[in-house]
Amino acid sequence: MRTIKERVYSRYLQKKGASKPLSEWSQFLSKMMAVEGKPEALDDMMVLDLSYANFSGNVTASFFAEAGAEVIKVEPPEGDPSRILSPYGANIQGVGVPYLMESRNKRHITLDLAGAEGRENLKRLAKQADILIETFAPGEMDEWGIGYRQLREFNPGLIYIAITPYGHYTARGQEAAHTPWTDLTSQAESGLAALIGDLPSAPEPYNWPTRAGFYAAGYTSAVGAACGGLIASLFKRRTGEGQMIDIAAADAFASCVGFPPTIGYVWKKPRIRYGTLDYGLCPYGFFKCKDGYVAIACFRDQDFRAALKLLGKWKIEEDWKTLLDRITDDIDKVLELNGIVEKAVADLTYGEINEKFSTYSVKAARSKWRGGGLPVTTKMLTAKDVLQDKHWQVRGTFNKIEHPAYGVVTLPITGKMSRTPLRIKWISAGIGEDNDYIFKKYGLSAKSDSA
Amino acid sequence: MTEDYFEFTKKLFAPEDIARKKEALSGLRVLDLSHMIFGPTTAKVLGQFGADVIKVEVPYQGDYWRGGTYWGKYWKHSNPLWHFINPGKYFVGIDVKKPKGKDLILRLAEKADVVIENFTSGTVEAWGIGYSQVSRINPKVVYASLSTYGQFGPYRYFPGWDLLAQGASGVLAATGHPGTDKYFKVPDFFGDFFPGYFAAMLILIALNYRERTGEGQYIDGCQAEILMRSLFHFTYADAMGKDLERTGNADPNCSPSGIFKTRDGKFLALGIATDKQFQALCKAMNRDDLARDERYQKAARRLQADSAEALGKAVESWIKEKDADEIVALGRRHRFAAAEVLDDVQIANDPWRRERGSVIDYNDDMYRKLVIEGPIAMLSQTPGRTKWLTRPLGYHNRYVFKKILGLSEAEIKALEKERVVGNWDYRVGQRPPIYHDIAKDKIFNYEGGEDH
Repeated sequence: MRTIKERVYSRYLQKKGASKPLSEWSQFLSKMMAVEGKPEALDDMMVLDLSYANFSGNVTASFFAEAGAEVIKVEPPEGDPSRILSPYGANIQGVGVPYLMESRNKRHITLDLAGAEGRENLKRLAKQADILIETFAPGEMDEWGIGYRQLREFNPGLIYIAITPYGHYTARGQEAAHTPWTDLTSQAESGLAALIGDLPSAPEPYNWPTRAGFYAAGYTSAVGAACGGLIASLFKRRTGEGQMIDIAAADAFASCVGFPPTIGYVWKKPRIRYGTLDYGLCPYGFFKCKDGYVAIACFRDQDFRAALKLLGKWKIEEDWKTLLDRITDDIDKVLELNGIVEKAVADLTYGEINEKFSTYSVKAARSKWRGGGLPVTTKMLTAKDVLQDKHWQVRGTFNKIEHPAYGVVTLPITGKMSRTPLRIKWISAGIGEDNDYIFKKYGLSAKSDSA
Repeated sequence: MTEDYFEFTKKLFAPEDIARKKEALSGLRVLDLSHMIFGPTTAKVLGQFGADVIKVEVPYQGDYWRGGTYWGKYWKHSNPLWHFINPGKYFVGIDVKKPKGKDLILRLAEKADVVIENFTSGTVEAWGIGYSQVSRINPKVVYASLSTYGQFGPYRYFPGWDLLAQGASGVLAATGHPGTDKYFKVPDFFGDFFPGYFAAMLILIALNYRERTGEGQYIDGCQAEILMRSLFHFTYADAMGKDLERTGNADPNCSPSGIFKTRDGKFLALGIATDKQFQALCKAMNRDDLARDERYQKAARRLQADSAEALGKAVESWIKEKDADEIVALGRRHRFAAAEVLDDVQIANDPWRRERGSVIDYNDDMYRKLVIEGPIAMLSQTPGRTKWLTRPLGYHNRYVFKKILGLSEAEIKALEKERVVGNWDYRVGQRPPIYHDIAKDKIFNYEGGEDH
C-alpha cells in the first residue's frame, strides 16, 4: 500500500498508539480495493432508458448500470441524436466521446415508438421494468399511450423518471413543454453561468457569463435523478409501490448548491462575477506560479499566518489578521491581498511551494502549540496530467476497456464500496445490437423492429 | 390529451399534499460526523427524504461553516448559507477526544443505519470510531468516509477543499476562455455539493443492497474522483491524444452554441443539439441559406470547429438585434433551446420555481422566514421536505441523549461538567438568535415525552 514516504498532517495520526489501528485499516482497504467476484447491489433490477437527445438521461442510466442493474437503452431505429454530440464532432467509429463514455454495461435495442408494434413492445418491457427513464416533452409519452398514467396501471411498482428542462407540472412546464434540453441552457437558467466569468472591469466578452467547461448541469441532474430513483426503489422494496420522479434541468445548479435562492432573498442583490476570486475567502484560489497554477487556500487565521510566513509576506499580517478582514465584500481590498499573493508565488515553482507548505504542516501537526496552521496546496492539472498521476492509477480511477470496434477506451469510474463496488463490465454502442437477446428474453414481437 | 395530462401531474405533485405523504426513509437513522459542506450535504439528502440525521459537532467550537459565510454577511446571528446545508438535523455537541465522548459516539453509531464522516483518511480510526470499530458492534452499518483524495493511494493523507479537488481533478482546467491565463473554478463549492449528492447516491445503493441481503458495507467517497466521473475530458484526451482546450462560453458539443448579449443588454444562452433543432433555428432566424448549406445540415459536420464558429457569429449578430424575451419566445415556438442567464435574485423570485417547489419560502419556528432551495428531485409518492432549518450547537443534546441513549438529566449534567458534551459559546453561528427565549424552549430543555 505505502507507495511513497508518507507525510501525515493530522496530530491524531502522529500519536504513538495510532500505528496499529492504521496498519489494520490499510489491510482492510487493500482487500476492499478488489472488485472481482463481489456481488452487484442492483442486479435484481431492470431499467429502461428511453432518453432522447438528453445526456442527463444517459448518465442516470449509467449509474444504475454500474451498480449492476440490467439497463436497456431504447432508441428509435435511426438512433439517439446524443450519440454524435461530441466536442467538435470528435468520434470513435462514429460514436461521440461523451456517449461512448456513458455506454457502460448497457444493452442497446431499437423500438419505433411512432408505430403500434413499438408501443406494444415497450409496454411489454415496462411491465417487467423497475425503472423507466424518459426525456421526451412532457405529455408526449402520455399521448402515445405509454406515459406514467398508463404504464402504472399494469405495473404499479414502476418508478418513472422524467428529465426535461422545466418538469412535467407547473404552468411553465406546460407552456415550454417542447423546449429541448441542453446542458448550456440548463447552466444558464439554474444560476451557474451568471457566476462564472471575469470581473466587471475586465474587457468584453471576458466579463460575460461563462459556461462551466463540462456537463456540470447535466451530471448534476443525473445524480439527482439517480438519488430519486434509489429512494423510490427502497420504498418499493418495502411497500411494492412505484412512483413518478420529476427532474427539471433548469433547476440543476441552484437546487444542488442552494446558494442562489438564499442569497437572492437575503441580500436582495445579485452577485457580480468574481473572476478568479472567491466570494467567501481570500486568498482562496489558483495563482500563476513559475511552472503552472498553484492553489493557495487559507481558511483559518493560523493557516493564513503560516502561508504568509512561508511566502515571505509576514510584514502584512497586521492588516489582515482575522477571517473577518479577509471575507470582505470590498473588492479593492480583496484585489490588494490577492495581488500580494500573486506576486509572492510568481517566481516560485509548484514544487518549491508544495515542499514549504507540507514540511511546515507536518511539523505544525506535531507541535503542541495548536496555532501552527495547515496551509494546503495543490497544482492545477489537465485531463492528460491527471491520467499520468500515480495516485489515480493506484486507486483504479480510470479503466481501460477494450472493444473490438472502438479499440481501448479510457473511462473514469468511482463508487468504491467494500461489498458491492461499482464497475464497468463492458462498453457497447451499436444501434440495436442487443435486439435479438433482449427481444427474446422479454418476449417482444420482432416483426419490424429488429430488422 | 396534453391539457388533461397536466391536470393529472398537477394533482400528482401538488405541494399542498406533500406533508400528508409518506417518507421513503422514515425509520432510518444517520449519524453525521462530518463538517463543512461535502459530508453534511450527503446527510442532508437522506434527511430530506425522511431519515433522522444526528449531526455531531465539537462542543463550543462546532462545524467551521457555522461561522463562515460570503463577504462577511451574517443573518440572525447565523451564517445564512449554513441553513440549507444542514436543515432538519438533530444537533449534538460531543467531544470525541474524551474517552466518554468516544463512548457516546459509539453508542449512537451502534443504533445508526448510516454513519458519515469526512476527516482525513485514518483519523476516525485513530479516534476509535472508524468503520473497523463501528462494524464490530453494528455489522449492518453503511459507513461512508468522504475525503478529497480518498482512503487509499499515495495522497490519502493530504488535506483538501472543494478548490483543491477542482484543481486536482481537471475541472478547473476545463473552464475559461482559450488562450487566456485565467481558469475559473465552478463557484459556490460545486466541488463539495456535487460529490455530496453523489455520495448520497452510493449510500442509497448500499441501502438497497442491505434491504435485499441485510448486509452493510464501507464506502470510500473521494471528492476529486467523483468530479472526474463527470468529465468526458479523459476519454477525449486519451482517444485524441490531446487535451480539450477551454471553450469560453460555447459548448463544443452543440453547434451553434454560446452565451450572447441581446439588444436589451441581457445575456442569453442558446444551444443547438439535433439537426431538427437546427432547422427550427434557421426558420426562426429566417436563414434559409444556412438551412440548406450542407456544411450545417448534419450534426457531425456542423460541430466541426469551422462550422461552429461561423454559425456562432451568425447567431451573435442575429441576437444582438433582438430582445432576450423575443428570442426565448421564438425558441418556444420553433422548439430550440434558448434561455436567459439568470442571477441570484431572479432565481429567488422566480414564480415557476415557487410553483414547482424548487424554491421555497420556509417558515421556521426559530429563524422565521428564509428562502431555500427545494429537493433536487421531485417524488410523487414520497416527496422530500424540510422539517426545520438548523439549530444552535448542542441544541438537541437532551433530546437525543435522553430519547435515544436513555441518559438521565443527572448523567447529562455530569457529562456537561466534564465538558464531554456541551453546546455553544458566544461566537456567531453557534448561538441562538437573540430574540429566541432559550430558557422556555421545550426541545432544548427536553424532559421526555412529546416527539419533535
